[in-house]
Amino acid sequence: MRTVFLFLILLILLPLSVALQDQIPGIPPALERIQLLPVVFCFGVLALPLLPALFFALSAAVVQGLTLVQLQSGQPEFGLTLPVVFFLGWAIILQMASEATRGMRWELHALGSSAVTLSLLGGEFLVICAKRGGFPLDMTVLLRTAVPAAAALLLAPLLYLALRKMVPISHEAVEAAQ
Amino acid sequence: MKKIQIAALVALVAAVAFLCLMGGGVLSELQSRFFGILSPLTRSGHAVSSSLGSLGKDLMSLDQLQSEYDRVLAENRRLRAENNGLRDLQQDNDHLRQVLGYRERSSFRLIPAAVLSHDGNAWWSTVRINRGSRDGIAPDMPVITDRGLVGKTAAVSGDLCEVVLVTDENCKVAAKVEGTHEQGISSGSRAPQGELQLAFLSKLADLQPGQKVYTAGVSGGVFPSGIALGTVKSFHARELDGEAILEPSADLGSLEEVFVVTGAK
Repeated sequence: MRTVFLFLILLILLPLSVALQDQIPGIPPALERIQLLPVVFCFGVLALPLLPALFFALSAAVVQGLTLVQLQSGQPEFGLTLPVVFFLGWAIILQMASEATRGMRWELHALGSSAVTLSLLGGEFLVICAKRGGFPLDMTVLLRTAVPAAAALLLAPLLYLALRKMVPISHEAVEAAQ
Repeated sequence: MKKIQIAALVALVAAVAFLCLMGGGVLSELQSRFFGILSPLTRSGHAVSSSLGSLGKDLMSLDQLQSEYDRVLAENRRLRAENNGLRDLQQDNDHLRQVLGYRERSSFRLIPAAVLSHDGNAWWSTVRINRGSRDGIAPDMPVITDRGLVGKTAAVSGDLCEVVLVTDENCKVAAKVEGTHEQGISSGSRAPQGELQLAFLSKLADLQPGQKVYTAGVSGGVFPSGIALGTVKSFHARELDGEAILEPSADLGSLEEVFVVTGAK
């Protein structure tokens, strides 16, 4: 029951995080945008059991993918395949990390959020370069990738503190604590 | 493995296959529905951030009042606050009159819209506005302000619409330079920073900073002719063509009200 409740809350948090991150203005000098969705995604896949975590990752992929779709003459430039592969891949990695640390830890959530943000933005840039040609890597691109990742590292513990009491406790974690 | 887990796994694989094999039309429809879900959240977020913004303005006014109070001791604080409040109202009034006047003067049929949010993605330059298909908005309609071109509409839901700004790499605009025969194609950069690149100009083009650039209005294109696009900041010749860097005419960093062009009057 607790898992279902957490899953529903996290599902609501996905579009909410997109709406919220769109309201936060860019940070000077390169107008870096803070990304909240990877922080919520990371919490979800670490806190939920494997199957719900995979469904949650799929939901995150759909939300992220739909915010990125841009129609060019009626045709979308990117489909949902890459977001789906990306989020499912990270969900499996983070589930394994969660098992290795015998349950969810705030450090893992913070580091995972930062790594997901970094790879998400870097991956988006590489995919755009592959699709449109050219590789204009400059300081603006580096700042726009690194600053949101650093911000995710700082923001993740806040979400962890707010939601940690809802995380279902595994038997292994209880045994480990004893 | 329990039966329910196997069923869930099959459902997951089916969902992944469906999402990966989805066609452009279905994806566009799905995005429109997603924007429909996002719309109330975006509107609420906009209302909250507007309230916080006006709170900041009030605090600034108090700072201004304090400095006024130091300079002119004869007037008391209450009167200053009242005057300041009236001044804000006057500014709002002037601004709205200017916007209304532009709508009446314009030769286009315009739908006024408020900017709800700026897209939080790093590599795209888009905003969301509070108009959608219910207001007669469709994809690929030009969006302008009284100062110049803003961009074009992209994904449209019932009451929300995404506008791709001219500073986005995907928003290409045919443009001509005032006082010359030079024509080129303007677009933004991959990591938009608020400048436009006008490419495919003649290598020998003698462009000076401050020259105005307008939309060229090619047949079958999205943008009509004669809308202010930007001002030349610099020009440099490349191997095959010339490229000018433009400052956009519309202030894209602080967009509040825009107009969607739905046709000519």
